[in-house]
Amino acid sequence: MSTYRQELKSRFATLGIVIVVVLTALLLRLWMMQVLTSDSFAALAENNRVREISLDAPRGRIYDRNGVELVTNRSALAVSIDPSHEDVRALLNRSRNADTADDPTRRELDDIFGEVAAMLEMTPGEVFERVADVKQEALRPRVIALDAPMDVVGQLLERQTDFPWVRVEEIAVREYPNGSIGAHLLGYTGAISESEYARSDVYAGYELGDTVGKTGAERQFESVLQGDKGWRRIEVNASGRPQGTLEEQPARPGNDIRLTIDIEVQRVAEEQLAAAIAEARRQGYTSTKAGAAVVLDVATGEVIAMASAPTYDPSAFLGGISTAEWEALNAKSSEYPLNNRAIMAAYPPASTFKVVTALAGLETGIASEGSTYVCTGTWTEMGKQWPKRCWKRTGHGTLSLRAGMKHSCDTVFYEIGYELYKRKAEELQAEARAFGLGRKTGIDLPGEVAGRIPDAEWKKEFNRNYPEYQMWLPGDTVNMAIGQGDTLASPLQMAALYAGIANDGTVMRPHVLEAVLDSSGAVVREVEPEVFAASGASEASLGVIGRSLVDVTRDGTAKGAFSGFGIPVAGKTGTAEVKGKDDYAVFCAYAPADAPRYAVAVLVEQGGHGGSVTGPAARNILAQLLGRPIVTIRTTDLSR
Amino acid sequence: MARSRTHKSTSRRFFDVVHVPLLLWALALVAYGSVMVASATLGMDGGEGMLLRHAVGIGVGLVPLALAWAYDYTRLRGWQGPLIALGAFLLLSPRIPGLGYTAGGATSWLAVFGVRLFQPSEPAKLIFIVVVAAVISSFKGRMDKPAEVFKVMAYLAAALVLILLQPDLGTGLVFIAITFVMLIVGGMKGRYFAYAVLVAVLATAAVLQFGLLADYQEDRLLVFVEPERDPTGAGYNLAQSKIAIGSGGLAGKGLGAGTQSNLHFIPARHTDFIFAVLGEELGFLGAVLLLGLFLALLVTALAISTSSRDLYGALISAGIIGMWLFQILENIGMTVGMMPITGIPLPFMSFGSSSMVTNLAAVGLLLSVWSRRYGT
Repeated sequence: MSTYRQELKSRFATLGIVIVVVLTALLLRLWMMQVLTSDSFAALAENNRVREISLDAPRGRIYDRNGVELVTNRSALAVSIDPSHEDVRALLNRSRNADTADDPTRRELDDIFGEVAAMLEMTPGEVFERVADVKQEALRPRVIALDAPMDVVGQLLERQTDFPWVRVEEIAVREYPNGSIGAHLLGYTGAISESEYARSDVYAGYELGDTVGKTGAERQFESVLQGDKGWRRIEVNASGRPQGTLEEQPARPGNDIRLTIDIEVQRVAEEQLAAAIAEARRQGYTSTKAGAAVVLDVATGEVIAMASAPTYDPSAFLGGISTAEWEALNAKSSEYPLNNRAIMAAYPPASTFKVVTALAGLETGIASEGSTYVCTGTWTEMGKQWPKRCWKRTGHGTLSLRAGMKHSCDTVFYEIGYELYKRKAEELQAEARAFGLGRKTGIDLPGEVAGRIPDAEWKKEFNRNYPEYQMWLPGDTVNMAIGQGDTLASPLQMAALYAGIANDGTVMRPHVLEAVLDSSGAVVREVEPEVFAASGASEASLGVIGRSLVDVTRDGTAKGAFSGFGIPVAGKTGTAEVKGKDDYAVFCAYAPADAPRYAVAVLVEQGGHGGSVTGPAARNILAQLLGRPIVTIRTTDLSR
Repeated sequence: MARSRTHKSTSRRFFDVVHVPLLLWALALVAYGSVMVASATLGMDGGEGMLLRHAVGIGVGLVPLALAWAYDYTRLRGWQGPLIALGAFLLLSPRIPGLGYTAGGATSWLAVFGVRLFQPSEPAKLIFIVVVAAVISSFKGRMDKPAEVFKVMAYLAAALVLILLQPDLGTGLVFIAITFVMLIVGGMKGRYFAYAVLVAVLATAAVLQFGLLADYQEDRLLVFVEPERDPTGAGYNLAQSKIAIGSGGLAGKGLGAGTQSNLHFIPARHTDFIFAVLGEELGFLGAVLLLGLFLALLVTALAISTSSRDLYGALISAGIIGMWLFQILENIGMTVGMMPITGIPLPFMSFGSSSMVTNLAAVGLLLSVWSRRYGT
């Protein structure tokens, strides 16, 4: 009995040890978790309960010079799809795995998206295409439809269990009260691209999927328009349902901007450009589709209007543009409506360049207001084997420099060009550059081209692989004298040239920004006019040019376009020859000729003649600016 | 050993019948548990009703405590057959059509008209302890023959089969733990333990191999081995529980101020995961207090077991110790990632009347053993 009791005691001791061991093991484990590594668990607990929501800052608005709204914001109901939902993710993973080429079949897409697509009047393929858009941050819901009808939105919300990957949220989008008016100048917005996102200098602090300006003023003034994002730290429960706000930093709205544009002039410029293209078609130039028009304030360089055709609707980009629409806007047959031809394209200025040739002749003393020339229709000064023709095959007879300008006689300018060539001082190029041609004006819009003023050095470099074409020849200067050959200028540069002539030889830098305003409307920054190019041309020479240009609209090549205008206009027609294309119609002018305020340039690609196509358009744009009636003009012009 | 029951004492001194420390520790745990249940149910829909139900459970539990205390446990020996029948009925009852209620993948509740009444496996634990105590005590403290071990194992196996019908893995493990502790006290030879462990390992392998476990049970076991397996599914509970306890730190976030608890990150926070709430809100110090109370309770129970006038009483006490100890190990262990997740309540702490009533009845049994230590 006693041994049994003894044994029992040791068994109880064993049990006691087990008790102590078990409790000690638990204690040690708790010590480790709660004392030694508590911080990391505390961080995880915070991470569990706190969500930081980014608060988007309203993008700044854009106004015209008179305070008319050009671009504002509105809230839109966006139907989006959550790409991180397991059903959607599975499809995405397959379509992105290039190795397997296991793209979801139409049937599969129909099974998952069919019903939602039908409600939104889309195809399942279109829905999936938007979901699969790689331009967005991986987890951000993809907008598939903006401004869906309220009843459809209601149905989607009621049937959340059927479509758990559908989100409906209110988002801020751009609104364009004037439709597509000013589309090129204003630009469109879109989700930041990966290449933009990588540029941390410009887009510091941005997140993938953020809306940024893609073109035009929206892009140029991105840093002004974009406000500072705010954030809100909210507490959520285990199902992610918000329980309350812990801390909040409100967003700071972007600054507004006021542009130098006058929306009414802009509207007329776009209408007149379209009308000029239509008129060119009527005249038989059936290939014409594109053109540009620019209006500058000669004293300040302010851009009053800037039009480009064909145009596009910036609201097509809201919520992300579909691939089909994007491809249509970038197809060759579309003539690239997204391009702002006023600054992004350079053309031969043709006869509008004759003012530069005349100035060079006057300033070098080669020519004077009274100099006379003989035009027989064929000019053979460079040798019989290299004859040059005036556009008027029968010749203008004997005429002065002023008359040469009025009738756009080529022979007069061949003569001056040849004289300039013989001086070997590249004075024609110097005169062109003195007015800012051949380099960017530095306008505050993205994508400007420099144009080209060719010279001996340029030709040598351009033909570096073709030694036989490297020498600068008399014909090069002679061709340049009539604005042909290798001479190129953007419509903006053409307008700036005439603005410079109008402004006593000084070209003011073209700009579209007038002022930056904070959200209360107070001016934060105002743009001061600055000189872009001081040509140094003499008052006397400019006077000759001015008188000649008035002749052009009074009884020269633009007589028809400006008949009955009532205000003297200094202008010049141009008809540019482009190899393999119909002639390009150009017209440049400034008005009023006696007290110049505005310069205008209008160009229509493959549109024929300046006097009959772009001249009338310029007349009506000036009419809008100067309070004259807008009229429909049908006239003819055969000059170049 | 067998003394006559002829002269019932009427002059027993107070401390002969009342084991003050045992009552003190048990009631302290009940109070501590009530505070935690109150905190855990504070923000719940119908939280106040739950606290009331908890209080009712305690009140109801005092009845079997008093009855067991008053009843001479040695007379239970005479009820072996009926007790076996009752235990089997209890374990089978959830499978009786119209009586069972399924929750969390296991049909382990008794319900009438869809209202959950209690988990019959809870009282069945005590019946099992009493039955097996009678069996082992018949070997007089020495278990030399394999046949004796097999006999005990047969009882265990029968119980396990009935439990796995529900199926309730956690309760099955409790029965195994109870049996082992009672075998230690009952005098099983060391080498049989080695055999038993071997058999247990083989049995576990067989269970996994032949898919005897429900999917959710297999998941829980695998997640225990590899918590990253499924962070939002079965592993989520474990991860959130560990975050709650770990983030509690030394002194905790304050009663009722646990974010993991109040924001519903902790699953079943008032029942199986009540310790996660305690660890988060009261920190390491609160956990030490709890483990201290458990230690005191278990040591007290061990003292009662030692003082038992017979092996039967000692085995009953040891079985209760085994039940509590394993449930403490398993429940707290699962909340800190030391043990697989099973649905076992923490004695005296978890919300749930079945468990509370059973544990209070167990206290009554211990008091019965204590108060009859000198014979009656």
